[in-house]
This record gives sequence, structure tokens and C-alpha cells, in this order.
Amino acid sequence: MPELPELNPVIHGKLRLALLSLLIGVEEAEFTWLRAKTGSTDGNLGAQLLKLEEAGYIAVEKKFVQRKPQSLYRITEVGRAALTEYVQALKQLLGGAIGA
Amino acid sequence: MTASNEEQELKDRLSLIESMIAEGRRTTTSWGWIFVFWGVAYYVAIGWTAYNRWPFAWLVTMLGAWLLCGAIIWSKKKSQPQHRPCTTIGRAISSIWFATGVSMVLIFPALSFSGHVNWHIFVAIVAAMLGLVNGASGMLLRWKAQIATAYVWWAATVAACFGSDNQCSFVFVVAIFFCQIVFGGYAMSCEARARRLEANHA
Repeated sequence: MPELPELNPVIHGKLRLALLSLLIGVEEAEFTWLRAKTGSTDGNLGAQLLKLEEAGYIAVEKKFVQRKPQSLYRITEVGRAALTEYVQALKQLLGGAIGA
Repeated sequence: MTASNEEQELKDRLSLIESMIAEGRRTTTSWGWIFVFWGVAYYVAIGWTAYNRWPFAWLVTMLGAWLLCGAIIWSKKKSQPQHRPCTTIGRAISSIWFATGVSMVLIFPALSFSGHVNWHIFVAIVAAMLGLVNGASGMLLRWKAQIATAYVWWAATVAACFGSDNQCSFVFVVAIFFCQIVFGGYAMSCEARARRLEANHA
């Protein structure tokens, strides 16, 4: 019987998974847009984004636009590959669960 | 946690990924009005030229339309509460339209000032360029309605090369009506529907 894959714990968190899925569809996104789409609080969102950044899954660019701070997040190649692997593992697990 | 609970949680994760990807790509930006706006601008230029045959009627109308359109887009962008992220497809489409716009701004005044243009060539070039840009956008978006407008423009390109000046004008006016006014109105209704859906979703 083939061994079932383990799910990446960094991606498995609901908010982190939502953030990576949002970022995979766009070139880059602002903090406020991510907050509006996920409905999370500033503190929680910032913490989860930091975890993704530390894992190398996203990159952040901080700048000032009309004297206001702006944080732009984009998914990295490592993040893209990790999300693809996660989806494959998820499908494999679900296939196993359905087959069992 | 039971096996069925675990399976349900995995399914929830998968649907979360799908819904978030769709959410990221969803756009409620309004572009339909631009088609209607330029359709009206073309009609103004055609009407003005027919009324007093002033050679710079097209140039003045198009320049005025460019400025007004740019000002409206700028003010709309400024009033948006948050910066909307750009998708690769979105950037591809806006690049095609921008490059076509620049080509038109360069070629038509140059042809007009040099005198190497007649009504048939003018309509044929405009129709070919609009066929190209609508065809490319429609294919990128997989939007059959926009691809249909490209076919109309391409048919107008060929038709403009034959017949009298009046027949050429008729072809141009009909193509503008279907591809700018009707299509623009249809795009606006699609956008309004998408905005309503987003409001319900929120």
C-alpha cells in the first residue's frame, strides 16, 4: 500500500492557506486587500503573513505612496511550488480516503 | 477526530483554495463604459466631419476624447478605497489596449498632416486595429461576445476597402454601433451583475 503524504503544516493553517491561494492568482497584493478578502484582523493577518515570509513562501515590499505606508505581498517560486505540492498531497489523501 | 470528519476537513481545505483563487482573480473594474464613450466619440467625429467637412474634426474630437477619458479613469482610480491587485491577464489586456492606443495616436495625425490618407484607408486601418485589440482581449478572456466584435471589425476592414465613400461610412457606423455601443452596454450590464453578486457575497 503506498504511503500517504503528510500535509505541509505551514500551509495547512486556514488563513495561511487562504493567503497563499489569493496571492497565487495575482501579481502582488496590498495588506488592506488581503485583509478585506480574508476578513481577518490586522494582528492575526500580520502574524500569518510573517510566518509565510519566514518560510520563504511570500516576499514583501514596503514603500510609501503619497506619504502613506504600503506593504505589497507576492508569492515566491518556493511558495508556488509548496502550494502545488500541498494540493497534490491533499488530493492524494482524499483519493486514499475515498478509496478506503 | 473521526475519519469522515478528517475527510470533510480536507475537502473544506480544497474548496477554500478554489474559492480564494477565484476571489483573487475576480475583478469588478468597470470598462464597459469606455466602449460606449468611444463609440459616441466616433459618432461625434463622423457627424462633425459630415456637417462642415473641417479636416481636423477627427483630430480635435479624438484628442478631446483622450483627455476626457483619461481624466475619468484617473478620478475613478483615485476614488477607489483600496488598491486592487493586478493579474497577469489584466496586465496583458491593458498593455494591448495601451499599445494600440499609442499606435492610433501616432498614425492618424501623421497620416492626416501628410495627406497620405483617404476615408477608405482610414476606416480600414481603424477597423483592423480594433479587430486586433478586441480579438486579442477576447481570446485572453475567453469571452465570445468580444471575439464576435473582432469578427465584425475584421469584416468592416475588408468592406471599407470597397464601394463608395457613403457605403464605407455606413459600414463604419454599423460596426461602431454593434462593437462599441451594443457591446459596451452589454459589458456594463455584466459588470453591474458582478458588482451585485460581490455586494451579496460581502
